[in-house]
Amino acid sequence: MHPVNWIIVLAYLAYVVVDGVRRAKGTDRIEGYFLASRSLPWWVVGLSVMATQLSAVTLIGTTGQGATDGLRFVQFYFGLPIAMVILGVTLVPFLHGAKVYTAYEYLERRFDAKTRSLTSFLFLLSRGMSAGTILAAPGVVFSAVFGWDLMWSVLLIGVPTVLYTMIGGVQAVAWVDVKQMVLIVAALLAIVVVLLVQMPVGPDDALRIAGATGRLQVFDFSFRIDETYTFWSGLLGGTFLMLSYFGTDQSQVQRYLTARSVDEARTSLLMSAYWKIPLQALVLLVGVLVFVYYIFQPSPLLFNPAHESQVQSAEPAQYEVLERRYQETLGAREAAAQAASRSQDTGDMAGSAAAIERFLQADAEAQAVRTEALDLAERVTGESSRDVNYVVPRFVLGELPIGLTGIFIAAVMAAAMSSIAAELNSLSTASVIDFYRRWYRPEASDAHYLFVSKLATGVWGLFACVVAIYAATLGSLIEVVNRFGSFFYGSILGVFLLAMVPRARGVGAFVGLLAGMAAVATVTFGAPSVSFLWHNVVGAVTVLAVGVLLSRAPRQGAAVEAPPAGGGE
Amino acid sequence: MTSRTGRSAGFRRVLARVVLVQVITLLLLWILQTRYTG
Repeated sequence: MHPVNWIIVLAYLAYVVVDGVRRAKGTDRIEGYFLASRSLPWWVVGLSVMATQLSAVTLIGTTGQGATDGLRFVQFYFGLPIAMVILGVTLVPFLHGAKVYTAYEYLERRFDAKTRSLTSFLFLLSRGMSAGTILAAPGVVFSAVFGWDLMWSVLLIGVPTVLYTMIGGVQAVAWVDVKQMVLIVAALLAIVVVLLVQMPVGPDDALRIAGATGRLQVFDFSFRIDETYTFWSGLLGGTFLMLSYFGTDQSQVQRYLTARSVDEARTSLLMSAYWKIPLQALVLLVGVLVFVYYIFQPSPLLFNPAHESQVQSAEPAQYEVLERRYQETLGAREAAAQAASRSQDTGDMAGSAAAIERFLQADAEAQAVRTEALDLAERVTGESSRDVNYVVPRFVLGELPIGLTGIFIAAVMAAAMSSIAAELNSLSTASVIDFYRRWYRPEASDAHYLFVSKLATGVWGLFACVVAIYAATLGSLIEVVNRFGSFFYGSILGVFLLAMVPRARGVGAFVGLLAGMAAVATVTFGAPSVSFLWHNVVGAVTVLAVGVLLSRAPRQGAAVEAPPAGGGE
Repeated sequence: MTSRTGRSAGFRRVLARVVLVQVITLLLLWILQTRYTG
């Protein structure tokens, strides 16, 4: 990478640490450190909520998904605005009004200590692991692209994040998130502009080519529970997933607990309701345009440079044959795309349709050659050769002008850091408030809790780095992140929904939670074809049903209070 | 003005805007799909 790009990346890293540490002012009390003394305006909280959700996986994996699979992934977010509106009128007033530090603290007031501790423990377990996975995502890609040891890639992102989160607390997290969000959106928009300018065909032709391959197919109205990305799974399963994530996950709840008022907390969530789908469509569109760009420019056979060099040295003859076949099909594909574009310009619709037909045939052949190359890479390296996460980084490093490459790499780091910072901050809050203060040291000075909180942030940061270094061999990063959450998410949401049922009791919540997780486990292992988006629905509904039933059962010893059988009137 | 459920008129206005923005977004995506997908 050009030195100018490195200067941009290093300047960004230095800036976030300095800016984050500067925000440590006013965080000498635990309420300031964890909740910014409930003083943040809605737009800061709203951008922080969005930055927390948007991780490096979004910039690397989702753009790659756009390049290989098109826009249909956007359906995953169709339930988000509905979830935000429901939360705005239900959980947000409950949690903000209860003046709690963690969402789980509210559950003790409503039910009992064991329900609080179990939900908080599940949060610590899943978020602790996912913090590592989120850190691993850019770490793995940077290692392959720059040829670094994974440990250094992880530490480059992890150490600055832990520093500013540990010192500055939630204020640092929120205000740095604002700048990171601006950087991310600016980088995405700049890439779209560069792609459109550098493309040898106009935007209309580019979209026509992408559309011919099905990459602009957004809506799938089929009702199939084994398909993750359909309109209905996005709308129904997505609503439950987003309700769980934004309503019960401390990494998000803590964002809006910092808002000045209930109304500002609601408005901050509605910011995501406004912008998430358009933003996600933009992210996927970047990937789609990168795909079109590589139709007119030389495209690598394997996008993972580490795998490419290993295969080249282990199987040079076989790789050369594949490479030659690939370039031939790419040549035919480009010629067909150019012909389609020319025919379209001259109004020759029949010629355009024939050229598109040739283009699709060549594209299918190119994909077949690539599949062979990926199989070869898998045999040679012994690792998964799926290279969807490398498509956009490879494009950024090879094709973008000097400066913009550095900005994009900084944006990937920003996306990773904003998510990890929120997670470390919330992991520390749940550890200290729900366990340390609740069970170990209920009475201590603010200074003591502040010290323990900073220590907990550092320990969770270290844990995330260790997990990141070992999580590298996990499969598709997007799936992994979502799967970690969906195993517990629906059940925890069920407990919070149960809290709103007036007659629900602690025993119903606790046993319901266990039943919900058992139901999700049964579906996960018993019916693996059911898409993970439906697991949240299964978990939440089971907890509600079991919780309501058990809450209606008479209390122990209640038999003496009950009227004798048949003693109605 | 705040209703009995605690939701202000301002919040209801924002809510209406959210619905409008979603309808426009989905409509744009639908147009993109139908115009360019063969």
